[in-house]
Amino acid sequence: MTHILDDYAVLSPLRYKNNWLKLSVVTFGILAGVSSNSPLVPLVTAACMSFATVHFGKIPSGLYLRLLAGPAGFVLVSAVIIAFFFGEGVKLFSFDVLGFTLGVSSAGLNMALLVLARTLGGMSCLLFLSLTTPMIELFSVLKTTKLPDSFIEISMMMYRYIFVFMEVAMGVKYAQTVRLGYKDFRTSFRSVVMLGTNLFIRSWEQGEKLYVSMNSRCYDGKLTMLDEKRPVKLPEAVLACGYFVLVMFVFLYTRGMPLI
Amino acid sequence: MHIFEGFLPSPWWQIWFAVSIPVIMYGIYQMNKLVRERREIVPLLAVAGAFIFVLSSLKLPSVTGSSSHPTGTGMAAILFGPAVTSVLSVIVLLYQSLFLAHGGLTTLGANVFSMGIAGPFVAYIFYKTASKAGMNFYLNVFLATAIADWVTYVVTSLQLALAFPFEGSVFASFKMFALVFATTQVPLAIMEGALTALIMKYVVQVKSDVLVGLNVLTSTTVAKLKGAME
Repeated sequence: MTHILDDYAVLSPLRYKNNWLKLSVVTFGILAGVSSNSPLVPLVTAACMSFATVHFGKIPSGLYLRLLAGPAGFVLVSAVIIAFFFGEGVKLFSFDVLGFTLGVSSAGLNMALLVLARTLGGMSCLLFLSLTTPMIELFSVLKTTKLPDSFIEISMMMYRYIFVFMEVAMGVKYAQTVRLGYKDFRTSFRSVVMLGTNLFIRSWEQGEKLYVSMNSRCYDGKLTMLDEKRPVKLPEAVLACGYFVLVMFVFLYTRGMPLI
Repeated sequence: MHIFEGFLPSPWWQIWFAVSIPVIMYGIYQMNKLVRERREIVPLLAVAGAFIFVLSSLKLPSVTGSSSHPTGTGMAAILFGPAVTSVLSVIVLLYQSLFLAHGGLTTLGANVFSMGIAGPFVAYIFYKTASKAGMNFYLNVFLATAIADWVTYVVTSLQLALAFPFEGSVFASFKMFALVFATTQVPLAIMEGALTALIMKYVVQVKSDVLVGLNVLTSTTVAKLKGAME
């Protein structure tokens, strides 16, 4: 909770690249990953995107690995369930537990590996976007879509206030921790309740103040934003095209080819 | 319980987007109506969304050892109703996937359906019927929030089961996913229910006019609740 990914995105050198180029690279990778039947495609996108994030985006690799391991709990549990129960056919191996026969069939194992690879690929695409593109840049993209104004306004103000409340929450949490507020289950529950209440009341007062201050500055239901023009440079375009071609090639080559 | 990026295969993530988008459109329509009536609601909703985001990134003290985070959707449903909650949850889930690497973009539709639509909707219906039946406000908040979490977890298990049926049987895989995730989700829901009920207790004590302004409570119930404390 100490750092959110946006903090890294603001410092990343890739921040100053064209937003649409980055978005198309990410969308392409995600779509290729979820629609492929072979684990190789998402693995290739994962490798390319991780390289781009760590090498071009200058993200510390330790942090990057920790972020990729984030979903591991959920994903591994689900993959194990899928491996054991998905698909029929010849079991590769099986054993008895309390009278039940548990076995892994080749279909199940293939599916589990595919799901693992897809999640890895998808997460690395998502991390590329969130570690190189701060939300401020994405707002100008959102403005060009047909989404209603009130939706975008609320997301912009919410973005701002996430940082304000994060800071409040962290301050309160430190203060509680040094006073042994998290020493055991009972006290930590009490502390979390106090923190939540304080945050709620404070956010409410902030919201009322925000309205008054915006009104006194002639807020008429529209926040205007100017975005910078950043043309795509040739080397970036070549690199992106090379990536598209590589992934397409792997996609077509491995179609319908099981790993095991 | 977020489904992570890339976890749902091709027909299913589109289906969940198709299910969620009409509800979100209805929510935006409702929200625009509210905004036209009372313009001060825009900053309030934004701040409420930021509150939900920060609340959901707080770690709850956990019983089973796994890290567990509250979702905050049950509370939002009680405060703003399910339509507005669905819109707020879209933004919150998008920020969670971008800022915390929690959830994903293709799975956004499925996550919005389970956390932003199904959970809050059931919780809201429960809250309204129970408060009509005269249930104690705090018990009601506790149950409604816990139910929101449970519905979310059941729907997520169903989404996973539909995408990965075992030997052609969705029910068998649903049972399996639900059983395994119950170990973390059932205690989490109870914790979050207790957390929300206690937060509401302090809010009634300190700043009850907020709840009256949102039509969550009438001023007579607030007076009664405050009287019961003294």
